[in-house]
Order: sequence, then structure tokens, then C-alpha cells
Amino acid sequence: MFLCNHKQAASKMDAPSTFFDIKLRGHFRMRIPFHFLKYRQIFRTKFLALMMASGLVFGGVSAQAADFELMAKKARGQTVYFNAWGGSPQTNSYIAWAGSQIKSRYGVTLVHVKLTETADAVARILAEKSAGKTRGGSVDLVWVNGENFASLKRQGLLRSDSWAFALPSFAYTDAEALPGIISDFANPTDGLESPWGRAQLVFGYDTQFVPNPPRSAEELANWIEKNPGRFTFPQPPDFTGTSFLKQILLEVSPDKGIFAAPASEADTKTALAPLFSWLDRVRPRLWRGGVKSPPNYTSLVQPLGDGELAIAMAFNPAEFSNGISQGILPDSVRTYIHDAGTLANVHFVAIPFNASAADGAQVVANFLLSPEAQIRKANPELWGDPTVLSIPKLDATDAKAFADLPRGMATLSPADLNRTLPEPHPSWVGVIERAWMARYSAN
Amino acid sequence: MVRIAILLLCLMPVAVGLLGAILPALGWFPPLGEYHFSFQPFVDFFAQPGLRRSLYLSLSVGLLATFLSYWLAMFLLAILYGQGRAGFLFRLISPLLSVPHITIAVGFLFLLQPSGWLSRLFSPWLTGWQRPPNLNIVPDENAFVLVLALIAKELPFLLLMGLSALSQIKVRPLLDTAASLGYGPLAGWMHLVQPQLAARLRLAVLIVMVFSISVVDMAILLAPSTPAPLAVRILTWFRDPDLSYQFIAAAAAVMQLACALLACVIWVGTDKAILFLIARLSAAGQRFSRLPSSFVSALKKGGVILAVWPCAMACFGMLAALIWAFADIWRYPSALPDEWGLNAWKYAYISLGQATLNSLVLGLVTAAICVSLALLWLQTETAKGDKHAERLIYIPLLLPQIAFLFGMQILLIWLGFDGLFLALIWAHSLFVFPYVMLSLAPTWRRFDARYLAIAATLGAGPLRRFLAIKLAMMTLPVLTAFAVGFAVSSALYLPTIFASNGRVMTLTTEAVTLAAGAGRQNLGIASLMQMALPLCVFLICDRVARVRLARFSFFKL
Repeated sequence: MFLCNHKQAASKMDAPSTFFDIKLRGHFRMRIPFHFLKYRQIFRTKFLALMMASGLVFGGVSAQAADFELMAKKARGQTVYFNAWGGSPQTNSYIAWAGSQIKSRYGVTLVHVKLTETADAVARILAEKSAGKTRGGSVDLVWVNGENFASLKRQGLLRSDSWAFALPSFAYTDAEALPGIISDFANPTDGLESPWGRAQLVFGYDTQFVPNPPRSAEELANWIEKNPGRFTFPQPPDFTGTSFLKQILLEVSPDKGIFAAPASEADTKTALAPLFSWLDRVRPRLWRGGVKSPPNYTSLVQPLGDGELAIAMAFNPAEFSNGISQGILPDSVRTYIHDAGTLANVHFVAIPFNASAADGAQVVANFLLSPEAQIRKANPELWGDPTVLSIPKLDATDAKAFADLPRGMATLSPADLNRTLPEPHPSWVGVIERAWMARYSAN
Repeated sequence: MVRIAILLLCLMPVAVGLLGAILPALGWFPPLGEYHFSFQPFVDFFAQPGLRRSLYLSLSVGLLATFLSYWLAMFLLAILYGQGRAGFLFRLISPLLSVPHITIAVGFLFLLQPSGWLSRLFSPWLTGWQRPPNLNIVPDENAFVLVLALIAKELPFLLLMGLSALSQIKVRPLLDTAASLGYGPLAGWMHLVQPQLAARLRLAVLIVMVFSISVVDMAILLAPSTPAPLAVRILTWFRDPDLSYQFIAAAAAVMQLACALLACVIWVGTDKAILFLIARLSAAGQRFSRLPSSFVSALKKGGVILAVWPCAMACFGMLAALIWAFADIWRYPSALPDEWGLNAWKYAYISLGQATLNSLVLGLVTAAICVSLALLWLQTETAKGDKHAERLIYIPLLLPQIAFLFGMQILLIWLGFDGLFLALIWAHSLFVFPYVMLSLAPTWRRFDARYLAIAATLGAGPLRRFLAIKLAMMTLPVLTAFAVGFAVSSALYLPTIFASNGRVMTLTTEAVTLAAGAGRQNLGIASLMQMALPLCVFLICDRVARVRLARFSFFKL
């Protein structure tokens, strides 16, 4: 009942052997070996990714399948601690379902460690590295993307043998059609993380209070000025909150080109000025006068249902349909996006360098990426997260299953959703967040 | 020997934990490759935006909540002591003692926010509101709701501690003496009882102060977030994906420690000043006899109402949470759910079942261990002395949790205990053991040793004397201490997430997660379970003790 059997699992570890051959003299001597290893592995993964992109590796699918069989055999009996944000009942139920499937097929036990923030898991993996815990770690699989991934990657906290490219299910993806699956916020994944789902920023509005929703940053600011207290956004550094700021920034900036390059190459103060003049305009008229921002996008749903908010946002296109079917939202709620398009990106699962059940974690990642699991995930009645798979690469039955998925009453069609904005370079995330904090935490 | 071992168990993690904050605060943190001492972390910390506001929020919430709960509790004791109504009131307030802090916070959230129950009850027939008004409350700019919620939780604690202290003071004769000299009951109380009471309550008040100033779980729900109070920001910094924030977090943890110290100094100073003032008034023979009696009775009534209303609001809020647990659809402005039902329970069964079980087992085991340790501690007590050693066990309560838990997590990982059930029990015991001692020690020490002497003359050995006489007669206080321990354990938030690596969910951690998600139903169910568990443990303990004692007919219970 108490989840503490990683001790036994540790002995069954199969992590890259180079990692553990080095004898640590003290508990805090890890840094040096890490650096040595990183270069070799970065080279290896870069090379692999390159081959993938040029289609060289797919010839070896059957060999990979055999490797995977072997790994699945080793994984039997392992317990995988999946650290994933647990604020949404749909997500939690979906992970519970995946756990039951994985248990019956592979004999791997999946435990969902529900996080309030993914950064918790990052901090924990760091704490383990701090204490010299190079194996038997408490996190086996973590749901990440963007900044958290960049941080884990930079600190060498991830399992680094490009395992994600070797998963059998990865063959159903198409990195040319969807570059986001190998480049997370323009940061190469190097196979350190396996794609899980796609997200796009959408807005939900209650037609009782908003007959014509504002379809641009400028119109939104005007609307907020006329309707004080009825709009807010999650507090950066929350993922959706920061994304909303990026969205506004991209819309109001005269020169959008600079955001494709690293922030260090631009004059950030000038670059962010249009965003802050927009925010200065709306801030006094945000929900609760701006003294409290909700922690994440799901906590906008209940206030939208109550009528405290009239416009909310989500990173899941099916969020508002879900809210209606659960009875949290009235059926007068609909979804819209800005005319200029909205931000879209991919989210992933990654394995920490010291995972206790690395085999089991790969089995789980592979299952989560399988057509079967992806079809269920895309079902708006269950979750409604768009798939990362490439439909042309699927067999006819699976392709049909995707085509036949129902669409909720408040969900936009794929055609309506096809206007997307490219993510700025990941280095902008920190710049925007710090600047936002400095400006709006201070008063 | 035993006592030293217990002290070591309690203090070693705290000491290491503090070092784990202080060293990185001074720039020394080998895991991130920093081996040089410097004040850079503090420089960076003070450069953080909105710091003044965060410090102001922490200090104002802590001081206000402590001063108000203390003086309201003292006032209630003064006017209600020895009166029939008092018993009823205390019985009404005391269940609040066993409810976790986060549940009270959820209650205030559900009651007071613009779309909360209060607004629903009076809309639209009185207010005309068809949709929630645009009001900046819950949270408000100055976190007054957080102060209210803290009072609702701390006032009952101080009342209980006050009652326990009063039982050591001969109140009746003191008041009679005062009356014979022409002092009214309130004046007599102020001159003779209050100074003694204040001295005995100092530890309890400091515990309340440190807790209020560094509270995290309640503040996440009820305080502003741009910026948040210091303790909440420290947690955010510890969790920041940019690992250089670890240094700032450590420096901030040290500052949190300093803030708590400052608040305690302010408290002790004010307390001394007030006692000095009372002494001057006593010397002058101030009897307040010129105050009109109507004013005095109005003051009494006003005081009672003022003291009871945060608690009453907490109760209404929790009632709202209960209703949400059974509401399928509840639109604004309906006063009651539009559709009752158990929809949310299907999900709760999957997600909260494990958390409930974890809370239950963790609480029971921790409480059992801590009660045993407390008995060991009390039994090995020598006649006098040891006072200093006993003060040491309260240290974990007198330090802000966030200041030493990160460092303690590193210790646990280093020992290979992290994520183990053992680590959780250990971390919980640091906080549970002192409360068990607070609850058990005064009654245990008042035991009439002559019973043991009689038993000894009848030939009973030491073990038999302990088991058959002392423990048997002390069943009620021991089981009460057990229930207190369980309640404390089930309310702990930071120690649980730090010691369990976030792996073990309890109802409290689950409630904080749910509060940051969609749908009030699940939060309502979590709150219901959080109210039910400690209450059940209390009731069962009480029942068991009474049944056991009923065999001795002379214990009229």
C-alpha cells in the first residue's frame, strides 16, 4: 500500500553502464563524471536523430521490435512511478486506464504520482542527484515539455540513450509533418523524451455574457476594459499562463522575427515593451483585481461555470466540451481562437537518469504512444487531446477510428484549429516569466 | 539514555535540515558545483521583485492572526470560565481542533468567494445578483480571509491550551479574594489570573505565531499570489526548473527563519509590555468600577460574537464543502444544488481511496509511535530538572517548516530513506510528538502517586504498577493524546510532500492538488473525508476509554 518498493527494483536496473562504472569517492563527486559522459551521449543521440530524420533507421524496425520484446520481458514485475500533473480528473482517469492495460499486458504496475507542478519532479530529481543517488531514484517517468525539459536536459538529469527513438510506436509518427515531436519548443529532444500528445491554446466563452468573442489581442484588451473582473490568465510560470503571454506578445509585436532566435540576441526590454503596455492596460481590470491569478488553466473552468469569468482559456481543445459534459459548465459555453492563430506544441514523457524501473518506463511510454492509447486519448469524452501520430502511417482500422471520433458540442473542428503560431525560442520563456514577475509581483 | 535517543531522533533531522538551508544560502552547494562561500544568494534574494509585499503579507498575517486568536481566546476564557454556557461553547468549537488546516481553508473558499455559498444564499432575492459580483475577495489584497481562517483554527487550540493551563491555577480562590476586595470578576481576572495564564501559554502562542507566519497550504488557497506570502514563494523557488533558484530559496528560508524570530520578539515584547501595564494598574488598584454595567455586558456579548464568528464561518464553509460533495450540478445563484448525486464519487473512489487509506495508516502508526515515545519520556522523567530537555522537543514546532524540510529531504535521500514509509513516519513524528506531549504531559504529571504507593505495598512490581494502575487509570488522556496525534498527522502538508518524495498522497496533499483543478465536487469529497477521519478516531478513542473506565464504578464519567 505504501509505495516504497524501489529498493528491490534498483537491483534490476539496467541503465547505461558507463554511468555506474565510475566509482564515486564522495556523495558529491558526481559532477565530473556527468560532464564526461554527456558529450559522448550527446554525440550518440544527435547522430541517431540525424539518421532518423533521413529515414535511415526505420529499416531496423524489426531489430528494434526484438529489442523491445526483450526489454518488456525484463520489465515484467516492475513498478513505474509516473510523475504527472494530477489536476484534471480526465487525465487522472486516463492514466488509471493506461495503468490497468499495462498491468494486464506487460505485468508492469503503473503508479500515478499526482503533481501540482511538474517542477516538483524536476526539483526532486535534482535533490536525488544532490544526495548522490545515481540509481533507485523515485521518479521513473515524468510528463514534461518546454522549460522543464530544457532544464532537465541541461542538468543531465535524463536517461540519455535516445530510448525514445527506439520505441516501436515511434514508427507511427512523422517528424516531417509534425516537427514538434523531435523538437520541444525548438529544443532538439535527442530521444530523451517520447511524444505523448499535442496541445493548442484555445479560448472558451459563455455566449450568455459574450455574444461576439474578441478574436485578437487588441479586441481582447478592449473587451476586458469594458467587462472588469471577467477575465484572467493562469499565473506564470504556469505553462498556460506563460503561453498566453507569448501569444499576446506574438500578436502585438511589430517584429515577430526576433522571437525565433534566442532571447540573448535581442534587446529584450524593447522586444517585450508592447506586451507590457498591453498588460498594463488590462491588469487593473483582471479577475480579483489581479492580486490572485489561478494556478493553472483547469482552475479557470469552475469560475467560468459560475459566471465569475466570461472568457477562459485552455491548452486542450476539448476542455470546454468536457466541462459541459461534466456539468461544471453550462451548455452555452463555446470555444474560439484568435484570427491570427494560437500557439500549439507537443508534450512528452521522459525518464530520469536514475529511474528505478527504466525498462518498465519505456514499456509505458511505448504503450502511451500506441495507436490504441492515442485513439482513446483523442476521444473528447475521455480526454480530447489531439494525437501525435501520423494518420497516413496507421493501418486502415486505426485511421478510421481516429476519423470516427466524436466531437464535443463546444469543440472546434480540426479545420478551425489549423491556424497556429510557432512557439518562440525556449529562451524567451524565462525572459518573459522573469520580466512578468518583476513587473507585476512588485505592487 | 532513552530520552537522549528520543531527542536525537527529533532534533538531528532539524539540525541537518537547517544546515541544508544555511549552507546553500551562503553559496555552498556542491551538487550544483558551488564550493565558495559568498553572500551572493542573499544579494539575489533581496533583488527579487515584490519582496517587500511578500514580507509584509507574511508578517501581517502572522501577527494579526496570532494577536487576534490569543486575545479573543483570553477574553472568552475570562468571561466564560466556570459558567454553564462555557461547556456548550467549548464543545461546539473543539471539533475544529481536529480538522486539518486545509479543510478550513477550503471551507472559507467555498463560503466567501463571490460565487460562494454566502453569495448564493442571498442571491438573487436580496442582492439582485444573477451572476457573481466582481468583488476582490478571497483572496483580498491583504489576505484578511487567511487571517480569519487561521483564527478559526488557532483560537480553539489556544482555548484548549488555556483551559489546560487554568487547571493548574487556583482560579476560584483568586477571584474570590479579588471580589472581597471589591474587584469585579473581569478586573479580578485581569489582575490575578491573566499574568499567570500568559506565562503558561507563551510556548503555545509562539507555536501559533511561527505556524501562521510560515503557513503554506492555507496560503496557497486564500492569500494573494502576485506576490504570494514569503513561505509560498520559497516553495515556488525550491521547485523552479531553473536550478540557480535553489540558492535564492535557501537564502529565503533563512530569511523566513529571521522573520519568525522577529515576530516572536515582537510578540514577547508586547506581551511583557501588557503585563507591565497590568502590574501598574494593579498597583494603582484599578477596579474599573466606574464603567457602566451596560457597557460591560455589551463588551462581553461583543467579545463572544467576535470570537465565535470566524469559527462559525469555518463550520458553515465546511458545510458548503459537504454539500458540494453531493452536488452533480450546482449553478450560480441556486442556494442549493440543482441536481444532487454521486457523480464525483466514482472518480473519488479511484483517486481518493488510496489517499484516504494512506492518511489513515500513516496517522494511526505515527500517533501510536508518538504516544509510546511520550510514555517512555514521561516514565523516565526524574523528579525535577529535565525542564530544559523537554523544551527542546518543541523546537520543530518553533521553526518554520519550510526552513528545514528541504535540507531534511537531502538527509533522507542520503540515508536511503526517502520515499519509504519510515521516512514519512519520522518526518511526521517531529511534529506529532510535541503535540502528543502537550496533550498528555500535564494530566500525566497530575497523577496521584499514592495509588502507585498503595499498589507497591500490595506487592505489585514496577511493570504491573505501570500497566495495571497508571496506564489503566490514564486511559482517557492517553487515548486523547493518540487522537490528537492522529489529527496533527493528517493535517501535515509540507512534511508529507518533502519526506515522501511526493510519492505518497494523503488527503491533505490531494486537497491542495484538487484545489488547483477543475470542479468543486472532488474537493468537497476530500474535505468530507478529512473531517470524518479525525472525528471518527476521536469518537472511537473516547468510546473505548469510557467503556474501559466504566468498569471502575467510582470513575463517574
